[in-house]
Amino acid sequence: MDDIEAELGISRSVGNEDFSDSSEDERVARKIRPPILLHSSTAQARAKESGFHESSRLCLKAIRDAMLHHHWQEAAQYLSAYSQTLEDTTVNKQSLACEIIWRLGTEILQHHPNSRLEDFNALYEQMKNSGVKNYAKICLEHSFHLLLNGHIYDAKRQLSVAASWRYGKQSVPQSLDLKLIHAYCGFLDYVIWHMKKSSVSEAEDNSSNREMHSYFRQASVTLQEIIAQPGVWDPFVLSYVDMLEFYNDQEEALKVLQNYAYNKDYPSNPNAHVYLYQFLKRHEAPPAKLISILKVLHHLVPSHELMQEYCYLLVNSVVPGHLEESLPVVFNLLDYPSWKNDLDTWNCLLTVMTVFKRKGLQHLIANEWKQRKDFWLTMHYRAYHGRKDSELNRELLLVKAKVAKLLGEHGKPDHFFKYKLLIIFIFLMF
Amino acid sequence: MDEHLTEGYSEPCKQCGAVSWALSDGCQFFCRNCHNVIEKTQDVVDVSSFILNNKISSISSSSRKKTRREGGREWMVCEGFQFILKLQAEALVGLGVCPQFKTDVLWDFWKRYLQITRQAYTRSPVNSFTNTVYLSSESEPESAFLSEASDQTEPMSASGHSTDGRSSVCSGSLDAACYLSAKERKSRQLMNMPRTLALCHLALLWLREAITLADLLRLVSRRLIPYINVYEEFPEEMQFYGRDAIIFRVETIPSYRKVHGEALQMAEILQLPAFPPVTSDCLLHPALLSLRYLMEVNLPDELHSLVCRVIEKSAMGKESFLTFNPSKPKSTFLFYDLQAAALIIVTMKLLFKLDDHVEWTLSRKAVKKDDQGKKKTSKQGSKMFSLKAWYMTVHPALERARQREELFEARRPWKSKKVLIPAMKHKAVVLKRRRVVEQLQSSFHTLTGSVPEQQSSSPSSFQFLWGQEEDSDGPSLHHKRLNCMLEKRGKEKWLVNQAYWHTDLKRCHKKDCRDHYSELKHSLPRMYVWLLGLFSFLLRVSEAQVHKEVVEVERRLLLRKAVPEEDNHKHRKRKGRKTSSSF
Repeated sequence: MDDIEAELGISRSVGNEDFSDSSEDERVARKIRPPILLHSSTAQARAKESGFHESSRLCLKAIRDAMLHHHWQEAAQYLSAYSQTLEDTTVNKQSLACEIIWRLGTEILQHHPNSRLEDFNALYEQMKNSGVKNYAKICLEHSFHLLLNGHIYDAKRQLSVAASWRYGKQSVPQSLDLKLIHAYCGFLDYVIWHMKKSSVSEAEDNSSNREMHSYFRQASVTLQEIIAQPGVWDPFVLSYVDMLEFYNDQEEALKVLQNYAYNKDYPSNPNAHVYLYQFLKRHEAPPAKLISILKVLHHLVPSHELMQEYCYLLVNSVVPGHLEESLPVVFNLLDYPSWKNDLDTWNCLLTVMTVFKRKGLQHLIANEWKQRKDFWLTMHYRAYHGRKDSELNRELLLVKAKVAKLLGEHGKPDHFFKYKLLIIFIFLMF
Repeated sequence: MDEHLTEGYSEPCKQCGAVSWALSDGCQFFCRNCHNVIEKTQDVVDVSSFILNNKISSISSSSRKKTRREGGREWMVCEGFQFILKLQAEALVGLGVCPQFKTDVLWDFWKRYLQITRQAYTRSPVNSFTNTVYLSSESEPESAFLSEASDQTEPMSASGHSTDGRSSVCSGSLDAACYLSAKERKSRQLMNMPRTLALCHLALLWLREAITLADLLRLVSRRLIPYINVYEEFPEEMQFYGRDAIIFRVETIPSYRKVHGEALQMAEILQLPAFPPVTSDCLLHPALLSLRYLMEVNLPDELHSLVCRVIEKSAMGKESFLTFNPSKPKSTFLFYDLQAAALIIVTMKLLFKLDDHVEWTLSRKAVKKDDQGKKKTSKQGSKMFSLKAWYMTVHPALERARQREELFEARRPWKSKKVLIPAMKHKAVVLKRRRVVEQLQSSFHTLTGSVPEQQSSSPSSFQFLWGQEEDSDGPSLHHKRLNCMLEKRGKEKWLVNQAYWHTDLKRCHKKDCRDHYSELKHSLPRMYVWLLGLFSFLLRVSEAQVHKEVVEVERRLLLRKAVPEEDNHKHRKRKGRKTSSSF
């Protein structure tokens, strides 16, 4: 008869976690506790815990050690011993136990040499049905797992079962997960549609075609609904646009992409502009339009890989004023260390500078150079860089040298002179 | 039949496509066409209707009565405890205790207990049926109908327990409800699970058996004595569910201190006379018990004579001191095993001082002396006992044993094979969880390809094995000599170490002042603390308790007025000379 009062109080609420209507907030407000650290507990708490809880604490410690040392066999053994905590009469420990076993179980199964897909399926099914707090998350993870292993239809089935799940007040805190489930339902419809599309031959097979179209309809309905809500929906947008392009609905696609990129409600997302740009490029839009999109992208992400294209567009543009804008773009690009050793970028810079020299716009070069000369020299033109470039990328060295020649006219010729000497020396050596 | 329970669910069956669901006994949905069982169980909406059904059924109570009469019989909680005690006694007799333990001693104690608490063997027992009939006419119609099974908490005195018609139904035994209010339990001195162990301990003490309280708890931990989930072995007629679980289920093995306290209380309740005296030939006597512990920790046998000297000097070997006499108000109930351990520690302190310096110096000297003394190539190695060698042998073994113990504890299965349902409204949930656990365990077992470890626990009273065998914990040091610890001065042999330290020996005035060990721990020598840790692991008690016992021994040794003062500083081992203090 251990601690009967606690048992009484607790056993009255066994199952309350499943059936009660108290929301998460109420429960949190009732017991204001520091966040639960499962692997460390105070000595005081340890002195008062029951033998059962002590066993489960030690078991969890053993599982943790086994997993960190990659002893998966041992970890599986301890986890099966740990599963007795699912029958704990203490409510909060029991709900924790569900989550622990789910997460640890999947991790162990992933690494264990003998695990099969059936084991995963069984584990997911069991953990879904014990305790409702994690239902949506487990469903999502289950379907992802099936998707990654190629069982697309199973994944779709799991998600559609999950999408129609309602559980009183428990659905509210899990609403975000349910939204995701809904979105991935649509996404999986798209994936199936794509599979059917590639398998459908030119010889019109009506039934499979009809299936394909039905999937398209399902997918488009869901995806439209999802994309209409503010958020970051990159893969869904791409899939929707892909389907619309196949059915030659360009205006709808354009509308969707523009909404995604320009709507103020949506979080700022550079990818949106990239998708819009790529779409328009595919459909041969006029350069002016492309330039306007890339201008926004330049503001958002000056170091984007599309900036080179932007630069060339500006250079080749007939609109006056665009040419001058191209130089800052490419200089900005080279300010970022990711483009330091990129030959194309340096070539672009060289091209732009020669064009400017031809058109007599050296003052602009001077402006740009004035801002940058302090740090560019250490960033691009040290002896170390010279040696490295000579070993790895000869052409880059040459291009940089040419740029140096042009820049040298605007300042710090001595440094460049030394640099050029070094290059000559290196060339003589090899 | 079950339409009202399953009507919310209208998914077609996966196998046959029909929509006709029914509810199985295990509260799972199954298809009536093809009997395909699915994972879905009753959910929220349905439970309230289920509870409603329960209420209705309790008034008519037909189902309840039926199950009770079909092969079941009514039983009281004390019968359950009697059964448990019987199982425990049989286990102990199987381990080597004399058979009178079960048939005479324990049984007598139990009868006496029932008599004194007026649960049986008395003219006016507390739980009588006559009382019930009288009450039922006054109480609600529900309990009237269940007169044979009603709770007796209405009765006697105003106990704070409210008659909840449902709760009185929900237990297999008749008077489980009595055991649930703390006031009742204390006033009527009702039985609980730790008390079964306390009773066993008292009976073992009465017979002066070698199984100490620490051994008893270790045997419980190793499942050699039934304690966890004993109710699985109740006979079929004793139907066990509901509130019984709270009384008979254990989720902790009680600590040494708790069982000791319960034993003291039980001795008071039973109004026992003086126990049979603990003489120097019985195994509980510190002289013999300390020999056992010396063997356990791999100390040389020569140490035993010194321990006996300490026992003698501190007058702890006297029968009057060692025997427990509950009738005398001032008699103390001793911790025999802790005492023996404390005596060994005090002897070690006398020999080695254990202040983190002297013992290592002495070890070095022992090794040197050994090297000097080697005339031929000794096959047995060194003959002298060196504390350093002892520490280097025992410490790794101790760490390994601790690790093993921790992993054993981690794997211990607490839940029984029989599912316990504390209340009917939770039945579905509990059964579902049990199913999930079983499925998980079976799937992980197939994954690891292993059968769950058979706990091969051979009942041995020793936890370490010292010797040359393959699975021993280390080499045996029992034959080592202690010559280097003693030196000849004139005709007598004196201990090399002449100093002794101890913590504050003053008794605390407050009664419930438990221990000061946690404050002292950081200032004590590490070797001493390690030694405390060794014995606390062996006896499964806390280090504070061992330290407290050491302080007790030191109090008796150093503060006694009867012993002449000069003996406190000169510890002499006299060879062949008779003195009054020799044995």
